[in-house]
Amino acid sequence: MKYGVLLVLCALSACDVMPRDPAGTSRHIADRGSFRVGLVEPGLARDPGVKALVTRLEQRTGARADWRPGTGEALLQQLDAGKLDLALGRFRKSSPWKKDVAFGPPIATGGSKDDPIELKAAMRNGENRWIMTVESASRAVARGASRP
Amino acid sequence: MNGNSLPPELERPMARAVRLEYRNIFWTITIIAVMGLVLGQSETMKTAWIEDSLGLVPPVMFLFAAHMERRHSRSQRFPFGFERVNGLGFFLAAVALTAVGALLLLNALMALSAAEHATVGSVVLFGQEIWLGWLMLAAQLYSLIPPMLIGRKELPLAKELNDKLLHTDALMNKANWLTGAAGLAGVIGLGLGWWWADSVAAVIISIDVLNDGIKALRSSTAELVDGAPRTLSSADLSEDARKLGDRLASEFPGATIRLRETGRLIRAEVHDTHAPQLCRHPRHYWPGAEERAWRLAQVSFVPPTPDSDRAQPS
Repeated sequence: MKYGVLLVLCALSACDVMPRDPAGTSRHIADRGSFRVGLVEPGLARDPGVKALVTRLEQRTGARADWRPGTGEALLQQLDAGKLDLALGRFRKSSPWKKDVAFGPPIATGGSKDDPIELKAAMRNGENRWIMTVESASRAVARGASRP
Repeated sequence: MNGNSLPPELERPMARAVRLEYRNIFWTITIIAVMGLVLGQSETMKTAWIEDSLGLVPPVMFLFAAHMERRHSRSQRFPFGFERVNGLGFFLAAVALTAVGALLLLNALMALSAAEHATVGSVVLFGQEIWLGWLMLAAQLYSLIPPMLIGRKELPLAKELNDKLLHTDALMNKANWLTGAAGLAGVIGLGLGWWWADSVAAVIISIDVLNDGIKALRSSTAELVDGAPRTLSSADLSEDARKLGDRLASEFPGATIRLRETGRLIRAEVHDTHAPQLCRHPRHYWPGAEERAWRLAQVSFVPPTPDSDRAQPS
């Protein structure tokens, strides 16, 4: 009985410990007080979904957005190298970048039905805690956007 | 005398084994489904899933071989019946395990050397966001249970039937907890931020599959090329067969005794000796326990010829 309770307590505390970021993204963001974000196309700066997502992330992490210059694939490369925390852009659902970066759930969808283009966040592969934070914020924005 | 080659005292254990293997297939399919739902990008999970899928091969082979052995009689085209289908099935299962094990190992090593970090994010379950890793751990824990229970039931049946295919499956199932533990460690390591734990666990699991495959290959090829009878679980020579050889050698001094296995039956050839005057059932020569005498299905005598074992000039 004692061991059962101990095990449950350990499990509960583990609930928050896991997952960790292998490269410590969430911790660095907390330390710096900012997360580095870039836009794959500059026109997205005025997109309401993008603005909503960034605001939500600032609220959840308590850090401010540090906008970085650069566009296109160069941003995704920086993501992979750990020089950028978040990239926002419009990607195909079956984007060839699927394996190299972690895509969040779509904030908005457009394009044709068989090959939709999704507005979504891209994060460094494997940074699971940070990925979960962004995924949660993306879902909230998508839910908010679907309400009239 | 049945039209098939299955000894009559094995009818009931064989029927029990067939029922057990149908249940084995059912539970393995549930494991494959559950693991398949939570795979994600984890190398550990992908490797463990393929290992679980391979768990279907031995029971399917066994059921096919058992069906042939029980239901199909000797015919003009197959005068020796179908008792060796089990050996063939064992060989095919061994090839599958070895080939897939090697591929899995290669894949896991490549993932490790490429330093790929597996993304394992969140899923929405009943309105709650939960880390997929928790579901992976739950699936792994589930996949530990049925093989252990089934393996425990398979082992005594395999020994009773002297069935190498069933025995190998029983050992693999019983040892499943090791790879299950590796799988759990891989996902937990990944959760704690050690990305390499995922690939390393995948390497461990694939080495285990490859190892099982190679052991089975050695055992199955020995039987298919009429090697001397081996023990159930390894390539060592069977103790029963050694005693039988000694018994025959003492009864027929100066003769060359050759033993081989066809499936679960042993067949003996006594060379350079005439058949004894008394008509004896092969089981008479079995040296061990009475209830295992069914294993000796044939004792043939090859009489000495003047120039035996020497090539005839044309």
